[in-house]
Amino acid sequence: MKLELGNFPVNDVSFGPATRYSGGALQINKRQLEQAILKDSRLSSAEIQLAKPGESCRITKIHDALQPMVKVSGPGTVYPGVCGRPVVTVGTGRTHRLTGVTVMELAEMPMYEGYDSPVEDFVDMSGPAADLSPFSETTNIGLRLVPDPGLSILDQNEATHSAALWVSDTLAGLVRDLEPPDTEVFELPPCDPALPRTVYIQCMRSSEHYSNQVYAFWTAIYGLTRLTPPWLLHPNELLDGAVSAGSPYHGPAATSWVYANNPVVMDMYRRHGKEIAFAGVITIRTRWSAQFEKDITSTQAAKLAQMQGAKGAVITWDAGGNDFMETIRTVQACEKLGIKTVFLTGEESPESGGPPLLEPLPEADAIVSTGFGGHANRSMQTLEEVEKIVGFETIAENIMLPKEQVTARRGVQYFRGRDIYGFSKISAFDF
Amino acid sequence: MAKEIEKAGIPVALISALYSLALTTGSSRVVRGTRIEHVCGNPRLSPEKDRELGMRIIGTAFKALQTEVTGPTLFDPEVEMLGVLA
Repeated sequence: MKLELGNFPVNDVSFGPATRYSGGALQINKRQLEQAILKDSRLSSAEIQLAKPGESCRITKIHDALQPMVKVSGPGTVYPGVCGRPVVTVGTGRTHRLTGVTVMELAEMPMYEGYDSPVEDFVDMSGPAADLSPFSETTNIGLRLVPDPGLSILDQNEATHSAALWVSDTLAGLVRDLEPPDTEVFELPPCDPALPRTVYIQCMRSSEHYSNQVYAFWTAIYGLTRLTPPWLLHPNELLDGAVSAGSPYHGPAATSWVYANNPVVMDMYRRHGKEIAFAGVITIRTRWSAQFEKDITSTQAAKLAQMQGAKGAVITWDAGGNDFMETIRTVQACEKLGIKTVFLTGEESPESGGPPLLEPLPEADAIVSTGFGGHANRSMQTLEEVEKIVGFETIAENIMLPKEQVTARRGVQYFRGRDIYGFSKISAFDF
Repeated sequence: MAKEIEKAGIPVALISALYSLALTTGSSRVVRGTRIEHVCGNPRLSPEKDRELGMRIIGTAFKALQTEVTGPTLFDPEVEMLGVLA
C-alpha cells in the first residue's frame, strides 16, 4: 500500500469575497459557506469563527477537529464510513492536505445521552494551557453550529459532523488539482531483516457501553463506534482518516486531526527501514463490560502482533477508568509472547490519593509518562480571562456537573486534556 | 472501600464483574460477577434462571465470608455452588 501525501501549508486564513487558496493564503467567503451549510434543514444556525495562534482566545465545545484533506487518486474518500461516506479501504493513491489548519465542529449537545458524553473540553490559543494541545499552533476554523433541538441527539450529531466534513472537503478541495509544494511518500517496503519488527497498538474507547447504542457518535473506525474485536490497519489508513471523530470527554487530543497526524505513527513511519521495521497498527476497542471480553481483546491483539512478526510494540490508550484493563492486559499479553512493549500513557495526579496507574501489572516495565494532563501544574487549575471566545460562551465549571455552566471567558479549571500521544512540551523531573 | 472496611475488622466479599482488577488491587475475597451492567444476574435469561444465577452469586459471597483467606482470592460461583441449586 503506497500513499502520496501532498501538503499545502496555510500560513494565513482570512475572510474575503472568495473561497480560495493561493500561495499559502486561505481565503474564506464566510457568508457563502454558512449559507451552504444551512441548506441542511437539521441545522438552525451556523457561524464560522477563526482562532489563530497567539490570540487571547478560548475555543469551546469541541466535538471534533478535522484535518482538511481530499483524495486525489486511489479508492475511497477520506474519513471513510462516517456520516454515510463509503467504507472502501483507504490509504493508497494520493491525498492532498491543507496543513497548519483544522476545521473544528463546535456544538453544545452531548455526543449521546449518557453521563460521560458532555462536550466540555476547550483549547486555549495562548497562555499556560496552550502548550497542552497541538491546536494552539494551528489556525482553527471553528464552525459554531446549532442543530434543531427537536432532533434526537444522534441526528443532531450527524448534522453537525456532516457539516464539518463538508467544510473540510470544500476547503481541501481547493487544492485537489494543484501541484503540492511538498510531497511525502508513505509505504512500508521490505527492509533489513535485522531491524526489529514493531507494531503500534492503539487502544480506543467505544461509546457502546455508556450510550447503550451501537451507532452513538464517538471515535470511529471506518465509521464504527461500537465494540469490535481488534483491527489490523495499515498506517496509511490512519493517514486517510480511517480512525476519526472524537471522544471529547478526554480532551481535545482525541480528535480526527490527531489520529491523522498521530505523532507515534509519524515517528514510527519515518524510522521504518532505519531503526525498526514498522509492522502495522493494531486498533482495539476498550470499555467492554465483562472480564472475559477484555481478556479476548488483549490476547487477540497480542496474537495479531505476533502474526505480524512483531518483536516490539508501542501501546497507547485514550480513556480512563476500567478501559485501562484492556490496555494493560494487552501490554501483558504482548510481553508474555516475547514482544517487548513500551506503554505511552498519562498518569493519575498524586492529588487523587491513588496510585499513578489503575492496575500496575508487573509486565508493564517500560512506561513513558506524559504527565498528569491538565493537573500537571497547580498554576493551571484556574486559567485566565480571555478576550475572545470561539464557540460557545459558557462551559461546565466541573465536567462531572455539565449542567452547571459558567462564563468561559473567565478563569476555568483545566480539568481535562490528558496528553495521549505526546504532543505537549511539558517535561518533568522525578526526585 | 472493601479494604477499609476489612481494616475495621469486618470481612468483605466483593462481587465484581472486573474481578481481576479487584484481585490486583488487593481485595481479599473477590466473587466473580457477570457484567458491569448487571453484576448479580443476567437479564437475558428467563426470570427464573436469572434469579437462580443471582442466588448462586450471593451464595458464593456468603461462602466467601466464611472462608479463611491468606491473600486476594477469587471465588467463582460456577465452581462454589455446583449442584447446590440443582
